[in-house]
Amino acid sequence: MRTMKVTFQINNEKVTLQVRPYETLLETLRERLSLTGAKEACGLGSCGACTVVVNGMPLRSCLVLSPEVNGAVITTVEGLRQEGKLHSLQEAFMEKGAVQCGFCTSGMIMTAKALLDRNKKPTKKEIIKTISSNICRCTGYKKIVEAVEEAGKKAT
Amino acid sequence: MILPKFEYKRAQSIAEAIDFYTHFDGQARYLAGGTDLIPLLKLRLSTPAALIDLKHIEELKTITRQDGWLAIGANVALFDLKNDPLVKGYFPALSESLDITSCETLQMRGTLGGNILQDTRCLLYNKSLEWRTARGFCWKMGGQACNVVPNAQACFSNYCSDNAPSLITLSAQVKLAGSRGERTVKLEKIFSGDGRKPFALEPGEILTQIRIPLEKTKGTYEKLRVRDSMDYPLVGVAVSMKGSSARVCVGGVGLSPRVYNLKNINESSVKDTADKAYADAKPVLNATLSPIYRKKMVGVLFKRAIKKVQQEGVR
Repeated sequence: MRTMKVTFQINNEKVTLQVRPYETLLETLRERLSLTGAKEACGLGSCGACTVVVNGMPLRSCLVLSPEVNGAVITTVEGLRQEGKLHSLQEAFMEKGAVQCGFCTSGMIMTAKALLDRNKKPTKKEIIKTISSNICRCTGYKKIVEAVEEAGKKAT
Repeated sequence: MILPKFEYKRAQSIAEAIDFYTHFDGQARYLAGGTDLIPLLKLRLSTPAALIDLKHIEELKTITRQDGWLAIGANVALFDLKNDPLVKGYFPALSESLDITSCETLQMRGTLGGNILQDTRCLLYNKSLEWRTARGFCWKMGGQACNVVPNAQACFSNYCSDNAPSLITLSAQVKLAGSRGERTVKLEKIFSGDGRKPFALEPGEILTQIRIPLEKTKGTYEKLRVRDSMDYPLVGVAVSMKGSSARVCVGGVGLSPRVYNLKNINESSVKDTADKAYADAKPVLNATLSPIYRKKMVGVLFKRAIKKVQQEGVR
């Protein structure tokens, strides 16, 4: 089957690729661009481990076809660090111990980033509502919510 | 999980999308948010030759007021619709069902049209090809049996949209565009009652718009599920009231939502209709809770929803 040409901006870099029409964004990120921060867990859009931010929106990259994101602006967890400095969310996750096995972490951080981008000072209730989109089987969410709260405070 | 092979076409207009559909001889499917369709493809429950992306059709993305109606484009995301001030102020039942649909991230991707036209679900249907091959194909997969109810001659899968029941209580209509022109039908009329093809749509028809009469209502949506964060409804009851009459719709059980009209709301009429809804609901063992419990909860949520709206007064 013919491949398709797609162009998008990823972590401030413009890339043009030939992709299969039935290729998911997650496959493109992990296999063509070696951006393995987004993880594949359920593959069916339930868990959120593959979340990346596309045009300001958190998106499950396992449910998105690469041809669909032609022209989009994408941020993955690898693109959060700016000028050698970690994003306030990454700092807060480490500080609060919001990581255990780490498999859900990049999805959690990207979901939280999209929240902080649209709502600078989310309440605890709003954070819980947003974070409940993602599944974590280790931490019990408490520390993750604390970390997002902390990052929200620091961002000002 | 790997997708099967298909082609991808991006349509810029409704006419172009229908042309693509004809070009692929009907072996194509329309793609909106993809939150329902992509998992179906990954599980090989659907194997189209092409996907036709409708996301770039401008007219499907707008919310407008049109002489007494609120016209919602089928591709409006659930999250955007939930934050629309008109929906909040006029249609509390819809506002609540949107808020409780799946989780926030999927609400941002999922569309209202896609939510209405989602496939019916069953614990023994939404499984991998390997699992289903070992078990044997059911009616919905093209087989000759039901894997849940022995000797059943029909499919018992559940229609799991949260928003269709609340839209039905609001007397919503849907606009459909196909190769033979446009038609507008009441939302409750698009269900076929056949699990193999749950919607009475012509091949290639596109749901373009959802229209709700712009009248203030009181209402609510009650949902039974195991995990509050993102589950499908195991029972869903929507209520919308205008004056002393109410429309109640029960979803999540069986192939189509059931609607009940209450002319005068009083203790006995509520009890009688709730009993009728309980008797009508015929859940089977194809969801995560037992059928007996789900059946009982139809009556319970029915009464609870009406009570809640009455107690809250004008909202």
